[in-house]
This record gives sequence, C-alpha cells and structure tokens, in this order.
Amino acid sequence: MIGNLKSQTNIQTQVNTKKKRKSLSSEGKWGLLMISPYLIHFIVFIAFTLLASLYFSFSSYDMLNPPEWVGLENYNKLIQDPVFWKSLKNTAYFTILFVPTQTILALILAVALNQSLKGLKFFRIAHFIPVISSWTVVLYVADAIFNPRFGLANDLLLKFGLEPQKWLNDEHLVIPVLVLVAVWKGVGYMMVIFLAGLQNVPEDLYEAAEIEGAGVIQKFRYVTVPLISGTTFLVLVLSTITTFQAFEQIYVMTGNSGDITAAGGPNNASMVLMLYLFQQGFAFLKMGYASAIAWILFIILFVITLIQVKLQKKWVHYEK
Amino acid sequence: MSVKRLSKLMAVLLGVFMLILSGCSQKTNQEGGSDSGSSSKTTEITLGFYSSGSADKKMNEIIAQFEKEHPNIKIKTQNAPYQQFFQKLDTQIAGGNAPDVWLSDGVFVQKYAERGAAKDLTELINKDLNKDDYYGLDFNKGPEGKYWAVPQGIQIAALFYNKDMFDKAGVDYPDESWTWEDLKKAGAKLTIDTSGKTADESGFNASSVNQYGLTFFNITEGWMTVLKSYGGGVLGDDLKKSIVDSPENKEAVNYIVDGMERGIFTDPSDLQAFQSPMSPFPSQTAAMRIGIYARVLAANETGVNYDVTVLPKGPDGKRFSPVIANSWIISNKTSDEKAKAAWEWIKYWVSEDDVQKQWAELGEAVPVKKSVANSDLFLNSGDKPKNKQAFLDSFDFAGTLDVNAVWSEWVKVMGDNLNRAFLNETTVDKALENADKEVQDVLDEFYNK
Repeated sequence: MIGNLKSQTNIQTQVNTKKKRKSLSSEGKWGLLMISPYLIHFIVFIAFTLLASLYFSFSSYDMLNPPEWVGLENYNKLIQDPVFWKSLKNTAYFTILFVPTQTILALILAVALNQSLKGLKFFRIAHFIPVISSWTVVLYVADAIFNPRFGLANDLLLKFGLEPQKWLNDEHLVIPVLVLVAVWKGVGYMMVIFLAGLQNVPEDLYEAAEIEGAGVIQKFRYVTVPLISGTTFLVLVLSTITTFQAFEQIYVMTGNSGDITAAGGPNNASMVLMLYLFQQGFAFLKMGYASAIAWILFIILFVITLIQVKLQKKWVHYEK
Repeated sequence: MSVKRLSKLMAVLLGVFMLILSGCSQKTNQEGGSDSGSSSKTTEITLGFYSSGSADKKMNEIIAQFEKEHPNIKIKTQNAPYQQFFQKLDTQIAGGNAPDVWLSDGVFVQKYAERGAAKDLTELINKDLNKDDYYGLDFNKGPEGKYWAVPQGIQIAALFYNKDMFDKAGVDYPDESWTWEDLKKAGAKLTIDTSGKTADESGFNASSVNQYGLTFFNITEGWMTVLKSYGGGVLGDDLKKSIVDSPENKEAVNYIVDGMERGIFTDPSDLQAFQSPMSPFPSQTAAMRIGIYARVLAANETGVNYDVTVLPKGPDGKRFSPVIANSWIISNKTSDEKAKAAWEWIKYWVSEDDVQKQWAELGEAVPVKKSVANSDLFLNSGDKPKNKQAFLDSFDFAGTLDVNAVWSEWVKVMGDNLNRAFLNETTVDKALENADKEVQDVLDEFYNK
C-alpha cells in the first residue's frame, strides 16, 4: 500500500515537472512578481537599448533620420579606420600603464595605512579626497603642475637644467601624464577596498608566521598577498573596466573649453575608444558607426574579463 | 491575497505602465493633428535656445513682450548652456520631439538643413522680409540657393589691438592699409620674451615668450581667415570638394608657421598654458587678436585699453572676414500652424526695432537689422571698442567658413593636420597633402555614398 502511494506521488511529481515547463508554479509566479519592478526596468532600459544599439551598429543612422540597414558596412569601415586602431592602441597603452601602477600603489598605501599610526584617519581621508573630487577640480590641480608656462613640473625641470616639456601637448607624454593624474585620483578608492581586505586577514596567521620566524617581507609575501588575492582580483577587474571606459578625464584634460571635437589630441595621441565613440556619435552624428565601436569595446572587455576569471583560478584563494 | 489575484493585479499594473509609455510617444502627434483645425485658439510653440547669464534674462523678457503683443501665441522655452543645448537638441530631433523653433549656431545650420531637420524658409523670406534690410541672410543659403534659417545675431571678425602695448612699443596702430606681412612686422616688435627682448632683436628666446604679438586660434580666429585672404580656402564653391592642396594655402600656412616659430603668434601648445584659448588677449598677454564681435565682452570685462580695425589684406590685396550668422531654424517636423506661429516670432525678432535694440544693448552680436546696426545705439554706445564701424565695413568682404553638413568633422581633420605643421611635426607640404585627402574622405562619406 505504502509502496503504491509512493509510486503514485512519483508519478505526480513527474507530471508536475512536466507542467512546470509549460506554466510557472505558484512560487515562480510569486518570484516573478517580486522582481517585476527590476524586470520591467531591465527590459525597457537595458535589454531594449542593448538590442537597439546592436541594430544601429548594422545601420547608417544620423539621429536626425531613421536608421537604414547597411549590414556589415560599419564594421568594415572600422577595420580600415586608422584612428580606430590608434584609439584601441592608446586605450591598451593607458590600461597597461594604469592598472598595475594604481594596483601596486593602492596596496602599498593600504598596508601603510593599516598600521597603528598617529593621524591615521587624516592620511586615509587625504588619499580619499581626490576620489570624491570632480574631474574639473582635478584638472585645475593637474594644470598647476603640468601647465607648460606656469606649472611646477617645468619649474623643476629648469632647476635641474633640463628642457621644459609640453606635457599634455606632447604626443609621447600625453598618456603617461594622463595616467599619472588618473592614478592620483583613483588610488584612494582602491586603497579603501584593499584596506577592507587587509582587515579581514586573521591576526593569528601573522602570529603563527612570526613564531615560525618570518620577517616583515615574508609575512607580506606568504600571508597577506595570498589572503587578499580575492580583493586584488576585484581591484584588477574594476580598474581594467574603468580604464577601458575612460572618457571624462580625457575629455576635460585634452579638449579646450569643453569642445568635444578638440579632445583626444595632440594628433589623436590621447584618443581612446570611448572618446572616439562619443565624438563619432554625438559630434559627427554617425550613431551607427559609434554603436559598432561600442560593441567592439564590449566584446574586448568581455574577453578580457573572461581571461581574468580563468586566470584567477591559478592565483586567487578564497577562504572556505 | 491569492496568487491568481496578484497576477491579475500585476497584469493591470503592466497595462497601466504600457499605457503611460504609449501615451508619452503619442502626445506630440496628437497635438499636431488637433492644432491644424481652428486658428482663433492659442497656439503653443516650443522655442529652444542656448544662453547664459544676462542673455538668458533678456531673451525671456523679449519673449514675454512677444506674447503680450501676440495673445494667441504662447511660447514654451527650453534652454541650456551651449554644449548641452546641442547634445539635447540632437537627441530630441531623434526622438521626434524637437522644439518647433530653435536658435542654431551658424556653423550648424547646414548640418540640420542637409539632413532634413530644418524647414525651407525661402518662400516665407521672399514674401515677408526685404532682404536688403538685414545682414547675413545669404550666409545661411545652401549651395542650391535655398534659405534655411534667419539670423538672430551676427558674428563677424575684425582685428583687435591693445593700444597700451602699441604705445609702449612705439608702434603705429594698425589700419586698413595693413597686409598680413605688416602685421607680422609690427607683431615682432610687440613680442617680448622673459628677459625683455623683442622678437626682432638678436638673442630673443622664442620658447619663453611673455607677451605675444598675435594670438591665433583654430579656424575662425586663426587659419581660415589667413588662408582665404591669401586666396586659398578649404572647400570649392559647391562645398563638396576639397581645395586644400593649393599654392595659395601653402603660402598662407608658411606665413603662419614662420610667425609661430619666431614666437610672434601663439602656437597650439602655447595656448594650452591658458585657462581658455580665448584668454591671451583679454588677459593682456597678446597685443593683437583676430576676434569675432562677441570677443568685445571679455575684453571689456577685464578692462583692456583696445580698439578694432578691419583685418589685414593678403599679398594680392584680397581681404577676408569670417562671419557666423547664429540663426533661427524652424523644425521641419512641426505642424503648419505651429510653423506659422514660429515664423511670427522670427519676424518679430528681426524686424521690430525695439527688439533689435534691446538685443544690441547686450553687446553679444552685431544686430541683424541694418538700420539698428548703423544707428548710434550700436556704433556709439560708449563701450569699447570705439571703431565698431570696422565690423560693419567688414561685411563688404565677409564670407562663411565653408559651412556644410559635415563641417565639424572636416574642421577637425583639417585642424589636426595644420596643428602638426604648426608644431613642426611635419612639413607644410605634407600637412596640406594629407589634409586634402582626409577632408575629401569626410566629404565623400556624406555626399557620395
């Protein structure tokens, strides 16, 4: 009898699961209802716009007239466009300089400010202030240093008997200068993330290491680094994404008086993908072309993040 | 509450949401449809303009006055600072809810016209405006001879000079006899390095200049003016062909590069040192500038002792003054009734003496109506510069900046190439050869698809 019942319920559940595929269970409905505000937001403002931009990337669209399907034309043009390749190269260069510099510096600062120092809070705040300042404010600070006429940097060079430089107007220096300023502005934020990671490292591990006779460097290398590797991974992914999307800084620092068509100079030496996209789309009304750039940018970021995720298995340890 | 009732509620909510969405998108169409019926009821039009500070206030006053005199037209305004205004405008046109009439920078008129966003005003202008009464109508005419906009205020360039600097250096003030070479010669005496030497003395250091002879920036107040007075230019008459690689342009660019090498003219990297590329003249770091009319505002604000004269002649006696007619455009998508109301506004703006006078008092632009521009109110307002007549005289040899639908794009390509020559990163010949090709590419992409 009991066995019979069991087989009956078995059949029942089988039927149920079959039904489930057709219509949602009551729990599923509840679930959908609960997430509906976000779902609607997602469909209207994310999925729809994503699909629209995908469609635009295959069409000729000047915003003022309806888009016209042109197939792969935009992507073909993109491949032959030297400025696109240059901005891709510049973006990569910017990232390669920026990500390691900022990450290492943020880690050093975090370790330093994780000690029991006098005035610790002051130093932490001091490093965080650039993070909350707007790029326009940062621009003025940077200008005080890198202004070719009145800046401190050239004063220093002259004092040591060196040639003054054009900084932001020098094709070879413009990206390093931009990176330097970006690190100055961004390092505080990453430092805070590292600080949180550092504070999660259990004290007893350090004690154990000390008993084993480990010095400061060994403790850092064999305790701190592996235990904050999860944080380091997060910092790396975040900084890579932000540099690929760098726009405001370059727009403000290389343009004149907010003129978008003037940004990215000299001679496109600081033209990065986001800036090029914006210029093509909003200043020159080539929205289809701009959408194609956006999708290429998306694919690149997606691949890089995938690689980072794959690689993390090799070096990132999460505490179980 | 049961799941069934809940999901019903959800469906209703979704329905309401959809209704709101569709309501948003249909609103403009419905308005257009119902408006075209009767003419006695009030018409509401949207007017877009870019402005800041005092201009903003004045514009609203004039609008209020217009509404009082035209009780059946109501104006809803939409304004923002320059950059934001145009970004928003393009998105609005894309979304099908552009203002019915808007103020466009003169260099963008063709961008809207050739893409079908601007209404053809040829008939209305022929019917209602006496063209001889106004400056600048022809500057908005496309190569096909149609009028796309009506000027709101005119920007035309003249040579600004700092009297104190000329007096100190003992150099005669510029006048209409000057050629560009004369300007450079005088400029050399007015260019002073950090050790106090002028550019025509030996031992002058061109890389640490304290005071420049001429500040030189970008297209309008820079290269286009020189190129055209040397007989060159960028686009041919149909505005679809590049004429960049010409002997006249070479001569002109060589003239500019020489001036920059000698430190007399500001080069693009010199300008980086200033808060804005516009600031050398008002901050008294340059003795002369090529300046459009609006530049008097900054110069008056900082109290420079200056005056203006017509721009110098080229080697063959040719003169050129760049002009930008910032203009009213009527949206091509608006209903007939709204277009009529918008046209009333434009007519009011250009033909009413009172409006023209009020706007002239702001001192932002040369008035569109000739009778007002030639009156004491504009010419002898008491504000500097004294010789405002020079701006009006310049209309005799004024021309546009070869404005077409892809103006911003070719200006960038041209400017990038010229800047490389200005900074000695390439030769003048190569810069022009390359610019010629790249400008043509931009033109072909739009005109010969």
